[in-house]
Amino acid sequence: MSDLLIQCRGLCKSYGHKSALQGVDLQVDRGRIVGLLGPNGSGKTTLIKILCGLLQPTAGEILVDGQSIGTHSKSVISYLPDRMYFADWMAATDLFDLFHDFYTDFDRQKAIAMCESLGVEPRDKMKTMSKGTKEKVQLVLVMARKAQLYLLDEPIAGVDPAARDFILSTILTNYNEEGSVLISTHLISDIERVLDEAIFLKEGKVILHNSVDNIRETEGKSVDALFREMFRAQTLEGGNF
Amino acid sequence: MLGKLLKYDFRSMWKQFAFIWPAALALALVNRFTLTLSGDSELGDMVAGIAGLVYAAILISMCVIAIIFVIQRFFKGLLGDEGYLMNTLPVKPWQLIASKLICATVATIVSIAVALLSIFLLAPLSAVDFADAFREAVQVFSELIARYHANVPLLIVELVVLCLVGLLASYLQLYLAMAIGHLFGRNRIAMSVIAYVGINAVISVVTTVLGSIFLQHTVWLFMGMNDWQIWHTVMVCLILFTAVQAVVFFFITENILHRHLNLE
Repeated sequence: MSDLLIQCRGLCKSYGHKSALQGVDLQVDRGRIVGLLGPNGSGKTTLIKILCGLLQPTAGEILVDGQSIGTHSKSVISYLPDRMYFADWMAATDLFDLFHDFYTDFDRQKAIAMCESLGVEPRDKMKTMSKGTKEKVQLVLVMARKAQLYLLDEPIAGVDPAARDFILSTILTNYNEEGSVLISTHLISDIERVLDEAIFLKEGKVILHNSVDNIRETEGKSVDALFREMFRAQTLEGGNF
Repeated sequence: MLGKLLKYDFRSMWKQFAFIWPAALALALVNRFTLTLSGDSELGDMVAGIAGLVYAAILISMCVIAIIFVIQRFFKGLLGDEGYLMNTLPVKPWQLIASKLICATVATIVSIAVALLSIFLLAPLSAVDFADAFREAVQVFSELIARYHANVPLLIVELVVLCLVGLLASYLQLYLAMAIGHLFGRNRIAMSVIAYVGINAVISVVTTVLGSIFLQHTVWLFMGMNDWQIWHTVMVCLILFTAVQAVVFFFITENILHRHLNLE
């Protein structure tokens, strides 16, 4: 087990001529809740997909739990993607079977209990469920694991503010405290209170990585206020009006 | 891990074919009955005609479903949204491909078996007819053996192996084409089709070149052979050539999924 959970050095990713990540250097320790913050198109999802092995970096090095991306890293990562990933014919219980088969850290009892508290009937077929219910099932799958690294890509983007609190408390009460949680979002005010660290991504570069306490102390303002300031300034510079 | 992957691929296969396989067999039995009605009256003719049409439609849909199944399970299951689940499981890419391939092959073989069985069910044959047919087949085979000194059981094994290897190679060619297509950010389906055509072109060039070299240097080998030995040699070469194709397709596809996976 490596001390550092995530290590990236000079990570670059480009799609044709378009560059999504430009030399990202990053280190994330264990036991942290980290916000991956940036406007749309800043490279948040690209970075998470590279960590999961769904995309390959164009250049640079990336290690998770001390190893390059492969079956080991996949076995310690619990990933919540920004889309639905299950086949229609499955019921939530089929997915629990699948997770139980492939991930030794999946806790079936916990998943059933979480479904109950979220008001999901696990024996229903996925195709009969509403979009919100499907998202809950996906969240249950991800959080019922005792993973080392939770990668949550926009977990609260598509839901109303009341559900956001519910989802956040589900994440907070269920994650493995020896592991870390990386949450990507542009809705900072909603999650700021739960974060230990914040990473600001802008046009594929890390422009700030610090603990939330340090940011408040040195900048004298909340992460949300700092974020608005930094990214508003960019618009004005570019727009010149 | 491959066994666990197969478990879920077979479940999804069953969901796909659970209706059509029993339906084909049931319709064959219905036709066996309705066929006896035809010729009796106009109504009988009509009933028999409709039942025949439905049976044909079921068989055609079974073919279509099988082809779509082979393509969809790979394209949607590994390179589409479901790929977000499958490619983040702690398994090796070759296991993902092998699982899809085995499942597709089994689905095809069962579909062919269902189609053949349905024909037997349809035809009003008795046990005596079967025994006669079997006896005739044995006689034909023994004549072949006598005339060409042919090893008929071996010939049958070679034919079956060639069909199986050919099936695997053609599915792996589809997989490779889709894997190449997915590397492109846009028009992935169109690029897959172009890749498929491209692979075909490469194969025919390679076949022509290798074939002519092979013949030039091996003609002397065939000189002293009888018909059966020539046939046997050609079969073995065909099997080997197809198997090499399959292996090459598999390794390139594995390499793409392993090192260049691109789920944008």
